[in-house]
Amino acid sequence: MTTTSGDHGQANPYKIYWVTWAILLVITVCMLLAEKLHMPPWVLIVFLLAFMMVKATMIGGTFMHLRFEKANLGVMVACGILVTSLILFTYITPEAWSVFAKTAR
Amino acid sequence: MTDAHTATMEAHWGGGAAPFGASWQKTMMWIFIVTDGLLFSGLLCGYGFLRMASRTPWPATPEVFSIPFIALMTFILITSSAFMASAVTASRLGDRKKAVLNIWLTIIGGAMFLGCQAYEWSHFIHDGARLTGALQGTKLGQLGVPVQFPASFFLLTGFHGSHVFSGLVILTITAIRSGMGKTPPQGIEMAGLYWHFVDLVWVFIFTLFYLLPS
Repeated sequence: MTTTSGDHGQANPYKIYWVTWAILLVITVCMLLAEKLHMPPWVLIVFLLAFMMVKATMIGGTFMHLRFEKANLGVMVACGILVTSLILFTYITPEAWSVFAKTAR
Repeated sequence: MTDAHTATMEAHWGGGAAPFGASWQKTMMWIFIVTDGLLFSGLLCGYGFLRMASRTPWPATPEVFSIPFIALMTFILITSSAFMASAVTASRLGDRKKAVLNIWLTIIGGAMFLGCQAYEWSHFIHDGARLTGALQGTKLGQLGVPVQFPASFFLLTGFHGSHVFSGLVILTITAIRSGMGKTPPQGIEMAGLYWHFVDLVWVFIFTLFYLLPS
């Protein structure tokens, strides 16, 4: 079987996972502490969403080995899920506001 | 294992160039992950719709849940994912004992996560949450949470929890079979991909449901 993650030839092939684990935990703590900084709500939302995407990229890239696979696999996964979600969310947002406006009357 | 079976398990794409440079097992697993990801994407968009359309203000989650406890659940799941990644690498390097040990550690983490989720659900239900809204005269009733709030919670965390449970079943079978030498490294890798996907989904639920300000 071919090795795609470059496991061989490294002094400690497990180190990358535990470094990623530590970074993920630090990011999680930063996300928890962000609320205490009393930022404007939109800044906090952007901050949280950005860190969420960083965490997702790290899990997909390192734990799921996407960074060691062919780039088109990563593109298929990212486009398949994220772009579809974005389109869906873009279409439902005006509808949600419309429902909100109707019930507010 | 018969030679024919071994040949099938190790077979690579036979129709010319492999589409993603991966074995058919891995390609199919990724296609499954994308479709399952779309399920959660639909659920999260539905949650977004309910939250935006809600006339009653969405409650601040720290008033309803213990966020440090949810953070502990996140820590447990991320740690189990790191153990799973180590198990995949150990199996690739031919260290079966280490691979099996790491799979069992992953299972312990997953079971702890499910235990925490059961505890959280029981507290939430005790506070008056029902699928159809909050009971009057309870903590949630006094907070005046919109009916969509408990419904979104049960749906999102319930679907995720069922995936964690399925993952635990898959991992237990994989651990037992690997211990007997019946699961090839690629089988462990497939189980690992599913487990990391469960972790990935939690990252989105944790941020979008628990952390976004009301």
